[in-house]
Amino acid sequence: MTEQINDQISAFIDNELSAEESSLLVRRFERDTESRSRAMRYTLIGASLRGELLEPHPSVLRQRVSAALSGTTLNTPKAREGWTERLARPLLGVGIAATVAVVAIGALRSLNEAAIAPSVAPSLATTPLQARDGLSYVVPQETDNQSQIGAPIRLTNYLMHHGEFASGLTRTSVNSNVVGAELERVVTDSSVVKPAVEQVGLE
Amino acid sequence: MRAGYPVAAPSLLFLTLLAGHATAQEARDWLERMSRAVEDLNYRGTFVHVLDGTAETLQIVHRNADGQSGERILSLAGAGREIVRQGDRVQGIFPDRRIVSFEIRSDVSALVSALPSTTADLEPHYEIKLGDDARVAERPVQVLEIKPRDEFRYGYMLWLDQETAMPLQSQLIDEQGQVVEQILFTEIEVPADIPASAIAPTIDTEGFTTLRATESAPLAAEIPWRAADVPGGFKLSAATQSPMAGSDTPVEHLVYSDGLATVSVFIEDPATKAEVGEGFFAVGSTNAYSLTLRGRKVTAMGEVPRQTVRTIASSLVAE
Repeated sequence: MTEQINDQISAFIDNELSAEESSLLVRRFERDTESRSRAMRYTLIGASLRGELLEPHPSVLRQRVSAALSGTTLNTPKAREGWTERLARPLLGVGIAATVAVVAIGALRSLNEAAIAPSVAPSLATTPLQARDGLSYVVPQETDNQSQIGAPIRLTNYLMHHGEFASGLTRTSVNSNVVGAELERVVTDSSVVKPAVEQVGLE
Repeated sequence: MRAGYPVAAPSLLFLTLLAGHATAQEARDWLERMSRAVEDLNYRGTFVHVLDGTAETLQIVHRNADGQSGERILSLAGAGREIVRQGDRVQGIFPDRRIVSFEIRSDVSALVSALPSTTADLEPHYEIKLGDDARVAERPVQVLEIKPRDEFRYGYMLWLDQETAMPLQSQLIDEQGQVVEQILFTEIEVPADIPASAIAPTIDTEGFTTLRATESAPLAAEIPWRAADVPGGFKLSAATQSPMAGSDTPVEHLVYSDGLATVSVFIEDPATKAEVGEGFFAVGSTNAYSLTLRGRKVTAMGEVPRQTVRTIASSLVAE
């Protein structure tokens, strides 16, 4: 996939393509599963980084596609910044630590370059959940980067054993943590954690 | 009409209670359907794992053939790790560390005991109710909300496929109502069969350091440790001695479950090079707490609040 298509998809998600360009891109989605998957992934990533997947019915991409098919434009207050510009915007006025922003950008870039899943013909349709308009793409949670260290393999081994006993509900979470958690964080008592009784206000 | 009122009011109350009971039962039925679906169905797909403000794309293949299940999860970006479970063998491949770790599941039967005997047993500790119908990945889904009744466990929001009961979206929610973790399928296929080759490792591990469990280590018949203080609803569901990759001596492993959440307690001789420090750890959505207690290195971990792992780990006693 060319850089140009990536840019087009990104602009499409940001509602920055013209109606004609959008229509062409949507037609491409119909025949090009890779670009469609990438569009879904971009949208999900943006939404997830904004915490918008908390809502069960986001529908921005679907609206974009519908609008492109009907030749109309979405009623958005103003053209939003492209996500790369938003990513680069310093601190976003919400006190985001620079290191966290870098982590978020790195995650996005790596995800953008991630291999598309091999030709899995989905029997379940794949339109993703979407994001609501009007918010920045990056609102990562603040973390204490000083507390992050290289991961001891033994902890990972523990986690693999633990996953074997997890319920069906949580096993995918555990295994995702094994393969997906980039950093294993040590949180010191003094920095974050208060005694359990104080923390939850128990008697 | 006045004469009918005293009769109608209790009837209405009865019908309301009956409807509420039916709805609660229906919610539990959905939970049981989901539990069976994730174990019994063949499926493969791509999902986004959202954690700490970042998202990672992972691929999953789950195969169930003749009652033997296997699974492969591959990170499509980042560290590119892979975990493969085939029968009682579990293989973790970590290209970022150039390590491949082979583990052996020591007691398969314990898995069954970890599951709730009935979802009704969850009621004292979770409120389980149906949400509205919705759509995920263009599929109609049933929303299921599971709220903890205390602060010792997390809640869940599940979007279950109406046809298969597969969780197409799930959220883990902490005691403050914040979403700790989210899993969202962007592609999923549920075929009748999946070949065994689909769950074979895909990463070339040539040149990697191999860590293997010492299979010849004698295993104790009983584990002489128990947690004296566990939150209500958590019961000991397994107690095993597990060989562990990279360790010459097996690790004692207790498993406590309330039917949904699971807490593992690992107990080792501190003289072993366990590499685990002391205090709280977070590995993704899994919280862990480690300390040295009664001459042993004790580590509790689970998808539960920090206080839960600390409470359980700190209360370890010899039986």
